[in-house]
Amino acid sequence: MFAAATMIQLTNVSKSYGDSGAVQALHNLSMTVEQGERVAVMGPSGSGKSTLLNLICGLDEPTSGSIKLEGIELAALDDDRRTRLRREKLGMIFQTFNLLPTLTALENAALPLRLQGLRRRETDQRAMAMLERVGLKVRAHHRPDELSGGERQRVAIARALVFHPPILLGDEPTGNLDSATGEEILRLLDDLHREYNNTVLLVTHNDLAAAFCDRILTLRDGQFVKEVRTGRTGTAPAGER
Amino acid sequence: MFGALWLITFKQWRAHRLRVALTTLGIALGVAVFFAIRTGNTTLLDSLRATVEKLAGKATLQITAGESGFSEKVLDTVRATPGVQLAEPVIETMVQTSFPDEGTLLILGVDTTGDQQLRDYQFDRTQTQIADPLVFLAQPDSILLSRAFADRHGLKVGDKFPLFASDGKKEFTVQGTFKPVGVGEVFGGNVAVMDVYSAQVVFHRGRKFDRIDLMNAPAVPVEVVQQRLRAQLPAGVEVDRPEVRGQALENAVTAMRVGILITSFVALLVGVYIIFNSFTIAVNQRWKEIGILRAVGVEQGNVSRMFLCEALLMGVIGSLVGIAGGFLLASAANRVMRGMVAAVYGVVSTAAPARLHLDQCAIAFALGVAASVIGAWYPARGAACLDPALALHNIEARHRESVLGWRRMGGGLLLMAAGSALVVWTPSRLGLLIQFLFASIVLLGLTIVLPKLVLWSARALRPIMNWAGGSEGALAVDAMIQTPRRSSATVGALMVGLMFVFSTASYIQSYRQMIDRWMNQVLNADIFVATSAMLRSSSYHFTEDLGRKIAALPGVSRVENVRFTAIPYRGDTAAVIAIEMDGFLTRSQNAIEGADSRTVYDKLTRGEGVLVSRNFALRWGVGVGNQLSLESPTGTLERPILGFLDDYRSEKGTIFMDRALYKKYWGDDAVDFIDVDLNPGVDQLAMKSEVQRLTAGSFHAFVYTNAEFKRWISSLVDQFFTLNYMQLVVAVMIAILGIVNTLLISVSERRREIGIVRAIGGLRSQIRKLVLLEAVAVAVVGVIVGSVAGILNTMFMSHTVSVVLAGYSVPFYFPWEFVLLSVPVVTAVSLAAGWWPARNAACMQVIEAIGYE
Repeated sequence: MFAAATMIQLTNVSKSYGDSGAVQALHNLSMTVEQGERVAVMGPSGSGKSTLLNLICGLDEPTSGSIKLEGIELAALDDDRRTRLRREKLGMIFQTFNLLPTLTALENAALPLRLQGLRRRETDQRAMAMLERVGLKVRAHHRPDELSGGERQRVAIARALVFHPPILLGDEPTGNLDSATGEEILRLLDDLHREYNNTVLLVTHNDLAAAFCDRILTLRDGQFVKEVRTGRTGTAPAGER
Repeated sequence: MFGALWLITFKQWRAHRLRVALTTLGIALGVAVFFAIRTGNTTLLDSLRATVEKLAGKATLQITAGESGFSEKVLDTVRATPGVQLAEPVIETMVQTSFPDEGTLLILGVDTTGDQQLRDYQFDRTQTQIADPLVFLAQPDSILLSRAFADRHGLKVGDKFPLFASDGKKEFTVQGTFKPVGVGEVFGGNVAVMDVYSAQVVFHRGRKFDRIDLMNAPAVPVEVVQQRLRAQLPAGVEVDRPEVRGQALENAVTAMRVGILITSFVALLVGVYIIFNSFTIAVNQRWKEIGILRAVGVEQGNVSRMFLCEALLMGVIGSLVGIAGGFLLASAANRVMRGMVAAVYGVVSTAAPARLHLDQCAIAFALGVAASVIGAWYPARGAACLDPALALHNIEARHRESVLGWRRMGGGLLLMAAGSALVVWTPSRLGLLIQFLFASIVLLGLTIVLPKLVLWSARALRPIMNWAGGSEGALAVDAMIQTPRRSSATVGALMVGLMFVFSTASYIQSYRQMIDRWMNQVLNADIFVATSAMLRSSSYHFTEDLGRKIAALPGVSRVENVRFTAIPYRGDTAAVIAIEMDGFLTRSQNAIEGADSRTVYDKLTRGEGVLVSRNFALRWGVGVGNQLSLESPTGTLERPILGFLDDYRSEKGTIFMDRALYKKYWGDDAVDFIDVDLNPGVDQLAMKSEVQRLTAGSFHAFVYTNAEFKRWISSLVDQFFTLNYMQLVVAVMIAILGIVNTLLISVSERRREIGIVRAIGGLRSQIRKLVLLEAVAVAVVGVIVGSVAGILNTMFMSHTVSVVLAGYSVPFYFPWEFVLLSVPVVTAVSLAAGWWPARNAACMQVIEAIGYE
């Protein structure tokens, strides 16, 4: 029986590339992430971390196996429904921020709401509130090229959380930042998690970022080889307080 | 180093095949249109020259006196002139055949005894029953046909067939055929030969010839003979080498040729914008690559050269493809031009296949390559100046395009103002080339300020697009706001296309209105009878007898015979309309300006003065009161100019005189139009049927009611602009190609952005909408700036081009309703152009797009 609190469930997921499946990126992977839980997936380059994230957010499809988000089987959805699921349930943070260079911080943050068809006034109000929450209200009308790396990632976080998604996915969220800024971002994510109690799945190389999570899964050659519980529930990484 | 850079270029081309193909196609289309028009033009001129040369045979000099001909006494004078070895009279006329779809037949009336020494007639001896066919031709109904014409209609020696002569339908007897060489090649073989004296009778020439072809004695230089003849003959009788006559024909159609040539440059100009656009985007696309090249030690000059060499190669390929395509189009262009020349100028030329002229190829090739390199120059410079440190940063680190500062904006505006002032206030006699330079200054200024115009227009459009298109609308316009330079290249291509569409539409509309006004003032007869479906026929005319027959019909109150011809004037030609002034003045009193009407009317009716068209006055710098000196075959006619009137039948200018005066000096009583006034209450259509019954089977006559005649003239105006319409379609097609190109490249360039939008929840349909809305934004901004450019170009066309080419200015009128109408049309076209790029964008793989480097 599927537990109501299970937010992400992967069952025997495999993903291979190439005409005859020559490259096996993921092999019979299974995992469950509960509501409010923070999970880090670590592993060396080429271990399949990004593939895993792409599959969970519905940007890619598994070769076999099942992926469910809040009990919804992704394979049963067409592209549009997967996209809608993404914009209603998944917030995403990228290593390279992936902000739109032509939009201001406010417009970038408001974009998911605007794509949902909300009115401009409402989207701006909510985006501004979120920018204020991440400490960037004063930079709301600046464009990405006028912001520092940390500020850009804050905008990305605001964009990811502006519609209060139940699940937050992060792909190396501190990978492009210096360590001090990285810590700042993790502290912010920690605060926001406390506030929104959303489910977080981070893919990272960074021990500090992994330590921010409740559970660390180590991925190697497309398989989980290790699972560690950090024992931190709702606490920020050690050494930063 | 260049090998390495070529490798990079090669890889880029492979990666962006579609962009390269579309860009090259843009140049190819521009060159194709240019080359087709040039080749069509050259083919037409070659054909005119070849026709004159073939008809001239071995003649070294030709004696003519306009279209009216001259007295046969001139022949005696010529033959008696020392140094003239041989002089042969000629009557040359185009007559209508009664064969369906055959059109006209050129009849050469020649002296049956001496002409074979001048012209090569290769008779078919087996079919020609006489030893010397030309001697046999002394029988008045005898005719020799080209074998091609005879074969086409199954005519054999002894057969009879009808032709429309001036005074009605006549039967002719085939006495032989000649081979399709020399004279037999002219007009595709639609040529026949008969005795010159028979031709005088049949074609109502009186005791006149159209031409004398002569050969000088070998010992006497042709120039000497020419001088001697000029000294002896009246000034109205011209003595020229055959090639000069060919040149005169070319001059007659100059306005049309130049007008067409101007528009053929449009396609090339749009091609420049497409190249500019493509390379601006390529530089943006290869931002990081350029940074890496600079970082590893490639100098600025080599980066620039890499892009210029790419442009050069695209220019070479595009030009070669364009020349090949243009050659295929040339025959069609030539056909249209021949039709126009025949319809509007009455000059008939031989259909000839387009020939590849190496000089034309070289010009088109050079222009295509130059357009390509010019278009790429600025982006290449931008690439070379790229800051490598910035170029190596991530997408967000890119600085927004710097839009031109106020100083350059001011410079652009200044150029526009200066160019416009020069166009408006300098005299037209400076010549078209100089005037074009002024117009180019305006266009250059406009191009400089274009990014700013695009920026302002896009900003103004943003709230509307945001309101109408949601976030996708705003994002679409943002793309323009953030990249006004890149966008301005696309908008520029569209602008140039639309500029010519709007200004040509404006010009044609203004011209039509002007013609309508003129027709209502001048063309007041109830019925018009014409000799040709063209504006006029230079060789087929009615006699006054037909006018008398029509006048005798019950219900006809008055008939006026009109002669519409061309005479030599100050080394060029002028049109003459010889009309019965009494009736003309009664019907067209309001059309005349310049003097006291009563006195003028009396003098004109008595033949004591002439009227001239406004463009004649402007072209030759004459005014009311000036003495006009015209050389006729019987001597110099001097009369004062008594007034002006508008007349648009000839761009060379028109002289109006009383018919009796014309007949006296030119000895020509031919009739080209018969204006018929009806008694009150007589139905025009019923009378038209009466006149048609009268002329049917006897005369090749075209009978129109007043409304039909005006509609017919309007259709001639349309025919005159046919090629312009076609070229505009091509210019717009190239502009559309520009839009497709830009959007495809824009999608490619914004791959990552689109990927991000998809990743955070943007639906495929939203991405499609975003790209399509960008196309709409480009279209709307294009229409806005195209209107600005269109107004400026209309000013140039109506004020300058028209005056230089035709001698009259066309009233400025800008078709705002047409511009408004164009918004949905251009938007629809842009949406169609954006469909493929939008589909591409929507189908993009998000993961690859986000990871795109």
